[in-house]
Amino acid sequence: MSRASVFRLLPAFRRLRVAGVVLAAGLSLRAADLPDLLAERVRSCVTVEFLTENELDRQPVAVPGVCIDAQGTIILPASAIDSRIPVSRLKDFKVYRPNSSVPYAAVYLGQDALTGWHFVRAEEKLRPDLVPVTAWVRPGTPAPRLAEEVWSIGLRGKDEDFRPYFLMSRIALIEPLPQMTAVAASEIGSPSLPVFNRDGAFVGLNLNSFGQNFLLFSRQERGASVVLVNVEESSVFLLADEVLPYLGRIPRNVAGRPLSWLGVFGLEPVDPDVARFLQLENQSALVVSEALEGSPAERAGVQARDIIVALDGRPLPRFKPDQVVATYVERMVAARRPGDELALTVLRGGRRLDLKVTLGDEPRIIREADRRYFERLGFTVREFLYGDAVVRRVKQAARAGVIVEFVKSNSPAAVGGLEMDDWIREIDGRETRTYAEAIGALAAIEADQNRTEFVVLTSRGGETAVRRVKLK
Amino acid sequence: MKPATLNESRARSIIRAAAVLVLAPWLAPAPAGAAMSSGFNRLLEAVVRIDVREVTFEAGARRFVAGVGSGVILSREGLVLTNAHVASPHAVEISITLPSLERVDAQLVGWDHWTDLALIRLNLDEVRRRGLTFQPATFGDSDALYAGQTVYAVGTPYGLTRTVTRGIISNNRRYFEDNEGVRGYETGAFNTWLQTDAAINPGNSGGPLVTEDGRVVGINSRGFFGADNLGFAIPSNTARRIVDGLVEHGSITRSYIGLVPGTLQDLEHFYALALNTGLLINSVDPGSPAARAGLRGGDILLAVNGHKVDGRFPEQLPPIQNMIASLPVASTVRLTLKRGSQTLEVPVVTEKLESRVGEEWAFEKWGLGVRKVSRAYARENQLDDDTGVIVLGVQAGYPARVAGLAAGDIVTKINQQPITDLAMLKAAYERFAAKPETVLVEALRDRRISLYVLKP
Repeated sequence: MSRASVFRLLPAFRRLRVAGVVLAAGLSLRAADLPDLLAERVRSCVTVEFLTENELDRQPVAVPGVCIDAQGTIILPASAIDSRIPVSRLKDFKVYRPNSSVPYAAVYLGQDALTGWHFVRAEEKLRPDLVPVTAWVRPGTPAPRLAEEVWSIGLRGKDEDFRPYFLMSRIALIEPLPQMTAVAASEIGSPSLPVFNRDGAFVGLNLNSFGQNFLLFSRQERGASVVLVNVEESSVFLLADEVLPYLGRIPRNVAGRPLSWLGVFGLEPVDPDVARFLQLENQSALVVSEALEGSPAERAGVQARDIIVALDGRPLPRFKPDQVVATYVERMVAARRPGDELALTVLRGGRRLDLKVTLGDEPRIIREADRRYFERLGFTVREFLYGDAVVRRVKQAARAGVIVEFVKSNSPAAVGGLEMDDWIREIDGRETRTYAEAIGALAAIEADQNRTEFVVLTSRGGETAVRRVKLK
Repeated sequence: MKPATLNESRARSIIRAAAVLVLAPWLAPAPAGAAMSSGFNRLLEAVVRIDVREVTFEAGARRFVAGVGSGVILSREGLVLTNAHVASPHAVEISITLPSLERVDAQLVGWDHWTDLALIRLNLDEVRRRGLTFQPATFGDSDALYAGQTVYAVGTPYGLTRTVTRGIISNNRRYFEDNEGVRGYETGAFNTWLQTDAAINPGNSGGPLVTEDGRVVGINSRGFFGADNLGFAIPSNTARRIVDGLVEHGSITRSYIGLVPGTLQDLEHFYALALNTGLLINSVDPGSPAARAGLRGGDILLAVNGHKVDGRFPEQLPPIQNMIASLPVASTVRLTLKRGSQTLEVPVVTEKLESRVGEEWAFEKWGLGVRKVSRAYARENQLDDDTGVIVLGVQAGYPARVAGLAAGDIVTKINQQPITDLAMLKAAYERFAAKPETVLVEALRDRRISLYVLKP
């Protein structure tokens, strides 16, 4: 008899366990009490610490992570690192075990586009002390159900030696968002740490907690509505089936390339009323706001206002809330590789059209852009990217100049009126066609100690302005 | 911070009035000395209080709001000058309280939000029937004003009729432009303002700024809230020009070429210009006549139809803008430009200046208040064209809100038809009102296209 069927046959036993009764020997796994389960499973958990370095300072970041294999590979949630930060600015990765202040060296491996996970690998001497989370996978474990008990682990901060602690609750809700996601009745552990059932089997991985609505009463305010997010602990987790198949997606390179690309902007879901109006029963649909210039979608004939009703011939499923279906499509794209085909069925002017898109590799994104900080001038510029033209509503042919990425407060650039995201099109009256031209011009200005000022033509919100930066 | 306009809702005015009355005994100023001139006393007989009820569409329905302002009688024909933000085409009821405290109805003759001026006309039949009398004011020369000159503001601050405050001209050529300064309409591009420290409060709007002999030299209009007596008035010489145009045509027509000027102050050296030459073109509106003619941000405008321009300082910009605006619509203007080391002659064909604020309306059974997208709004927001209407507001529990539309959305299509003008939307609404059927709506929010259904 498989373990799964034993489970199903023994509902009474489970109730007993809840009451804290330790079962008889012979069912050793289930019999082990929670303190022992906790002590073992803590060995899959770590805290990863690193620095993000910017123009002026370094910001330390510490996030819990989970070990996934014998090579000391650790995954961190997407939110651990701002997606715009270039990899070159991520420094000094270290790994700490729970209850320890001893740092171990680690390297950053990159981000996976589908799961959003960042992968880090710990140095060899730490590896024997780590237990991959897969060790707690019990084949045949049924997916957790509503009202079932689940527990996970919380990790305190560095000042408390990353002390682990125990949290437990019951599943209140399971919903495809579009991945199967469970929400517990209260917090069960730190984000990105593993979740276990009462028997200690791996059943999921914590996500960041959802915001919760509260009414805040005070002497001055009568019940002002606020949303609170517990950033240290989460009550939300991905079910194991949404985690285990993807653990092997370790990026081949630190940039996470290739990134499969469809090239549409603004996929807006239709609500059930609109779907019914369009005679789409029991399914969802997405309006394409823009097919980006030169993108795979545009090449395949996708147009603005097309209503996507099916992918690969399968109608888009209906999710709650409506906008989840946009994430569903994004994941369908991210799960493929450049060169793969994606068949779209769209409604256009009442007709159904089948379009075959050959996915491309996404143009350079912000974290990959070349950039340079000019300390004397007090600002950083980066190359003008594909996405910059999209945001500024200009043709790709108009790509030129550089984008202001950072302005140091009270610096000459700041006093001269430059702001983040300004598009610099001319320097000292000369058009700057390429990044190299702009960098050359700015470097010459920075190096020239006799320079008293320079003038740039910037564009902001579609409006240009001449700005003078005084250096003396 | 930009100075705010100064009309006043009645509810607020009562509260503020009470507070001011309590404080009055301690704050009473020292007496001015000798009696006021006869001219000044005559002027007091020409200042009126204006009560306006106007329609708004922000609630997703027609709603009415009341405001109080001031005005000055211009002529025996009963013309009264006030601010555009006091009396606008949104006014549905205007009543004027004469110095004799008698109330008379009035009608809007025309308005010009660019200079924040409006002209209304007393109902003369009613005036005669009731045997009422009034005095027109005498105008002075605002160009002759000097900083430090004593002036008085007369009006109805916080609803307090016939209030006189005293101050000096603090600056006689103040520049500020406000893209949404008059109820969301643009103002200040074509005139400079008089700045005074005569106390100007909400409700003073539209009242006169006068010299000691009672001549009107300005129309009080704006102030910095929270500042001590930083008030602004439209110079009377500007007002006289606008009044003539409004009397003749009911509106002021201006030309537009799409230049956004900047000041050349401290930049002449960089552009290798002689002193007192040129106007910096900071930006060129996309799709405008200037853009089509090839003008670019960073060009220097040296002359307009051969007339040299000098735009070193901010207060020099309005006269240059006004010179361009005063050209006939659809005429060719010859611009002399400096670009790098080149000097160019560029012909540009003017078009009619339009406000960013389009026509407004409410579709009450939908619970939807809208404003037509104007060409200026489309340019400002980088829209493809002026198709569509902007949602001003939706009413809870009504179809538009239930469908998910929200203020700021741009409704572009209805039942698959692009909304090219408001009449087209009104026709669709009439069909819905006559025979309620589900309507499919397409709208933009931050460039994202969504579909909605309005259900009966």
